[in-house]
Amino acid sequence: MSQSAVIDIRDVSKQYTVKNEVLPVLERLSLTINPGEFLSIVGASGCGKSTLLRLLVGLDREYQGEIQVGGQRVTGTNLDRGIVFQEHRLFPWLTIEQNVGLGLENSPWDAAKKKQAIKEHIELVGLTGFETAYPHQLSGGMAQRAAIARGLVNQPSILLLDEPFGALDALTRSRLQGELQTIWQREKITMILVTHDVDEAVYLGDRVVVMQPRPGRIRKVVEVDVPHPRDRSDPALKALTEEVRAEILHVSPEN
Amino acid sequence: MAQVDLAYKITAADDAAADDAVDSAPVRRLAFYYRRLLGRGVGWIVPALTLTLWAVASRHEWVAPQILPAPAAVAQTLLEQIRSGDLFLNFGISLGRVAVGFTLGCVLGVVLGVSMGLSRRVEDYLSPIFNAISQVPVLGWLPLAMMVLGIGESLKFVIIAHASLVPVAINTLKGIRSVPRNYIEVAKAFQFSKRQLLRKVVFPATVPAIFVGLRYGLTQAWLSLVTVELLASSEGLGFMIVWGRQLFQLDLVLSAIIIVGVVGLLLDRGLARLERRLLRWQPVWDLTGGGT
Amino acid sequence: MSAIAASFTSLRFRRGLVVPLLVLVAWELITHYKLANVHLLASPTAVLKSFAVQAKEGELFSQLLASLRRDLSGFALGSLAGLLLGSAMGTSRVADRLFGPSFDAAKQVAVFAWIPLISVWFGNGEPAKVVFIGLAAFYPVVVNTYQGIRSVSREHVEVTRAFRFSRLQTFRKVALPAALPAIFSGLHLALIYAWLATLGAEYLLAPAPGIGNLMIDGRESMAMDKVLLGVILAGLIGFSLNAAAARVEAYFLRWRVRNA
Repeated sequence: MSQSAVIDIRDVSKQYTVKNEVLPVLERLSLTINPGEFLSIVGASGCGKSTLLRLLVGLDREYQGEIQVGGQRVTGTNLDRGIVFQEHRLFPWLTIEQNVGLGLENSPWDAAKKKQAIKEHIELVGLTGFETAYPHQLSGGMAQRAAIARGLVNQPSILLLDEPFGALDALTRSRLQGELQTIWQREKITMILVTHDVDEAVYLGDRVVVMQPRPGRIRKVVEVDVPHPRDRSDPALKALTEEVRAEILHVSPEN
Repeated sequence: MAQVDLAYKITAADDAAADDAVDSAPVRRLAFYYRRLLGRGVGWIVPALTLTLWAVASRHEWVAPQILPAPAAVAQTLLEQIRSGDLFLNFGISLGRVAVGFTLGCVLGVVLGVSMGLSRRVEDYLSPIFNAISQVPVLGWLPLAMMVLGIGESLKFVIIAHASLVPVAINTLKGIRSVPRNYIEVAKAFQFSKRQLLRKVVFPATVPAIFVGLRYGLTQAWLSLVTVELLASSEGLGFMIVWGRQLFQLDLVLSAIIIVGVVGLLLDRGLARLERRLLRWQPVWDLTGGGT
Repeated sequence: MSAIAASFTSLRFRRGLVVPLLVLVAWELITHYKLANVHLLASPTAVLKSFAVQAKEGELFSQLLASLRRDLSGFALGSLAGLLLGSAMGTSRVADRLFGPSFDAAKQVAVFAWIPLISVWFGNGEPAKVVFIGLAAFYPVVVNTYQGIRSVSREHVEVTRAFRFSRLQTFRKVALPAALPAIFSGLHLALIYAWLATLGAEYLLAPAPGIGNLMIDGRESMAMDKVLLGVILAGLIGFSLNAAAARVEAYFLRWRVRNA
């Protein structure tokens, strides 16, 4: 897979038309994402962050403006950009290893290499031993880990995560955040995380993009200049978290 | 009781919820033992009672024996039928007809359901005739079918195939239409071709629905088989019923009815077993494609 | 262009007409050029003629009414019994365990298979016919009522437990309303089956005024146009009953939230 490329978002806007009314979702968003960085996008509900992610991965194709990855315009999905959804979306009729293998369905590798990759990634997310289990036999956290393995197995240079831990309990969420950070440090690929959890955003991201709703715009980009691996009790992190939180709350007093 | 529709998946927890609270402790303990004791056997109570009532009624001749033969007589007739080979002959013929008709109907049903589900165009062309065929019950077409096909084997095959085809097609169609969008987006993210999408996502996701259709189709096939044999055949279980009536030998009629009921039940339960084995991955059908 | 006119010229509608028209043309051609066994198949025109004759001389209307009366009595009988059994099995686990297996077994026997027995036990007259029609209506009502009541969401039932509802209260206030869509669909199905059973009963049991009678007459005098007329009329009435039932269903369930 190619080395991580620069992601260029220029003047991107998007609207939804509901019953003859035009609702702006994103308004002239511009952002540059550097290769290998961990970017968090945070904001209240309705700020368009998930929409932006879907545009980046190519599941939505209608927008104004430019989205380019490595100089190429994004015109649809691509194996180079992986995605992890909020629901694990594992296929219930496949075992865990078959689900992870789904990411290699269209890969040119030979069977042996694929098998190896699947094994490694199952190990990476700590699910060794559960290869032949079915999704319904796993807890929510485990299933989501399998989904992450699936997203990474074909070694994309960019991984997009849309509120991946939103459906999990606080303890599992905490643990998986740590694991995600470890994985990112190992894989060294670009990761873009969308979340409404400010702590999560600051803990994981090199930069935190704060978005404001109606219409979706970037309010501020906060640099998190804290070395990895990070400690949650680090005062620098805490200060930045408060700063980001203040930005969000300041935006929408009536929320 | 056998479940027919995917929308009504009942879990064991619902069973518990349906129970009423019995307050006092001794009563509760009694109820507990009562339940453990009877457990599986409860289902046999009603048949046993019916049998007893029947035996008593015929013993005391509350009704003339021509109208209500004794259970013993019916059992004897049944044994004779088995011994003389007549039963197996008729049973075999019936089963053979179902086998052919049901297979035909299922294949056609799946093909129809899939093609209408995947192509709006095909659906537009076939809808009216499909609605006519599916909304008018099979027996409604029988007189017409008899006119066109006569009363040979082809009539039976066509009627049985029709009866199986309708539920299979409808459920397959529903299944294809209700593949969760969530899964389709995953396939998109992994650049699945249309073919891959169909083979790896749409069809596996549709299999449970197809099975629901198959089970319902088998029941309908068995029902329509007996009906056609009643009305237009000179062999088979359905014919046995009519023939017994003609000879005013109700023991023959009753034994045939019992066989029909038992075989039907076995067929249904058998298919249910098969379904459970093949669909081991599916304890709760979660339509969001994600966490429970 | 009005909405109705637009729907008639829509692509969908036009495509849908293709096959039925072909069938009609084929029918006419087959009978006209004697491509199939013409003794058994009358032409569309012959059927129309027969209709005119019957309407004038054959008291078509009263025959129709007789059939409908039979149909609705049997339907009412069977549906009521079905609602009772279905509700009982749906609300009481004991009743379910008791009657379930026997009902499942009985369900496997085609309704028409009971006719020989019914003709012996109830004779050949009206009571036998109504019983048979009732039987045909009985099964679908039981099945659908049972499923409807059992599909009440666990969450709702737990609320009734929190408020210490009695069994009857739970049934009346929660189970029954929630089961209404399924019950209606069961009644709808029962209506269709009852109509078919009506025709079957008229055809197979003793002759009496009714559409089935039309078909018996035709069969005996080898007047296939009469038989076909009976079949078509039966079909039309069945279709109308179906449409009416669908309307009623839609009306009563207007306020219900449809489960996706």
